[in-house]
Amino acid sequence: MAGTVIGEGLTIEGDVTSEEEVVIHGNLRGKLTTSDAVTVGSTGVVTADITGSSLSVAGQVTGDVTASERIDVQPGGKLVGDIKASRFTIADGASFKGNVDMEI
Amino acid sequence: MAETSLISRGTVVRGNVRGSGALEIQGRVEGDVTVTGDVLLGEAGAIRGNVSGESLTILGQVQGDLRGTEAVLVERGAKVAGDLSAPKIGIATGALVRGLVRTDGEPALAAGRRGAVTGQAMRSGGSFQKSPARAEAPKPAAVEPDSEPPPAKEERKPPPPVVPALSRGTRAKKKKSREQE
Amino acid sequence: MARHNLESSVLGPTTRLTGRVSGDGALRVEGSIKGDLSVSGEADIADGGSVEGNLNAAALEVSGSLLGDANVQGPIAVRSGAVVRGELRGSEVSIEPGSRISVRLETEFELDLGGPARRR
Repeated sequence: MAGTVIGEGLTIEGDVTSEEEVVIHGNLRGKLTTSDAVTVGSTGVVTADITGSSLSVAGQVTGDVTASERIDVQPGGKLVGDIKASRFTIADGASFKGNVDMEI
Repeated sequence: MAETSLISRGTVVRGNVRGSGALEIQGRVEGDVTVTGDVLLGEAGAIRGNVSGESLTILGQVQGDLRGTEAVLVERGAKVAGDLSAPKIGIATGALVRGLVRTDGEPALAAGRRGAVTGQAMRSGGSFQKSPARAEAPKPAAVEPDSEPPPAKEERKPPPPVVPALSRGTRAKKKKSREQE
Repeated sequence: MARHNLESSVLGPTTRLTGRVSGDGALRVEGSIKGDLSVSGEADIADGGSVEGNLNAAALEVSGSLLGDANVQGPIAVRSGAVVRGELRGSEVSIEPGSRISVRLETEFELDLGGPARRR
């Protein structure tokens, strides 16, 4: 089970740091840093720079993303920002705008 | 060892109550209660005044401050308008308390926040004045956690010795009055 | 927690937030929040969790630490081992012995000290 879950309807404005998985169904504005995975669910809206081991986006993310492992934009997901990750996938029906740096 | 004294139901004491040993109050006291032992205020009991003792158990109503050198326990159904202090404080579900509540060793709330509700203000009238600062707008945090604990001011609250001291005073007074007779 | 999964939020033990939390649903704080917190559901500050800021919620349970004011529609329960400093407003406030507290309780009620009979 995920350590941190931001439920639908909840809004966080500020800096979040963590060492566990972070799942976002609600809103986050600010900055998110974790050593574990980040998942943005289909209802999730994130306007923040994100650092994590991986990022999966089914909702919307606006911000620069650095992942030590991978970034996946799921069907219906939207990611706007520059990204850094060694693996990067964009599913059919997902959208992405930004620069990609895969040399980590 | 002093026995438990009892102020029974239907009894009204106007004046201060002092002594050594424990005290059970089922009636009414209009004055301060200061004993060396435990205080039990029964369901039908009421005190208008400050209460101090070792362990205070409150089931009735109090308008005044409660100081326990050991504990203050406010039980279900009790109503207290006043400040509570003791090393150990319990407020049961179903008890009503209005005032400052502080366990020993904890810093007092920031000075600016005090004042609206002093013991005096509470004793002076039945209705409770709202502090003007209580607006609906969000306020800054109650305390500055990083700040040094209590301004010396707060330390005026009597530490444990006050009870023995008072009880000695009580005996002295009694003796004196007997001598005078 | 019986609520729908999407509606309830948890800040895990290693999660630290500097900022503001607001919105619907319940929130369990196992980590730390520096900033104000306002939720429509119950707020639960777990053992080891901390909130430094003002709090609004439908109900509140504190087993960790709360430094700030709480304005709660329902009951507030302070558990043994909790540390609470600030003003607490709730429909009722219970405090377990063994908590470390310095709080102002603003509970509305009338005393009946058996004085001269009042006419109604």
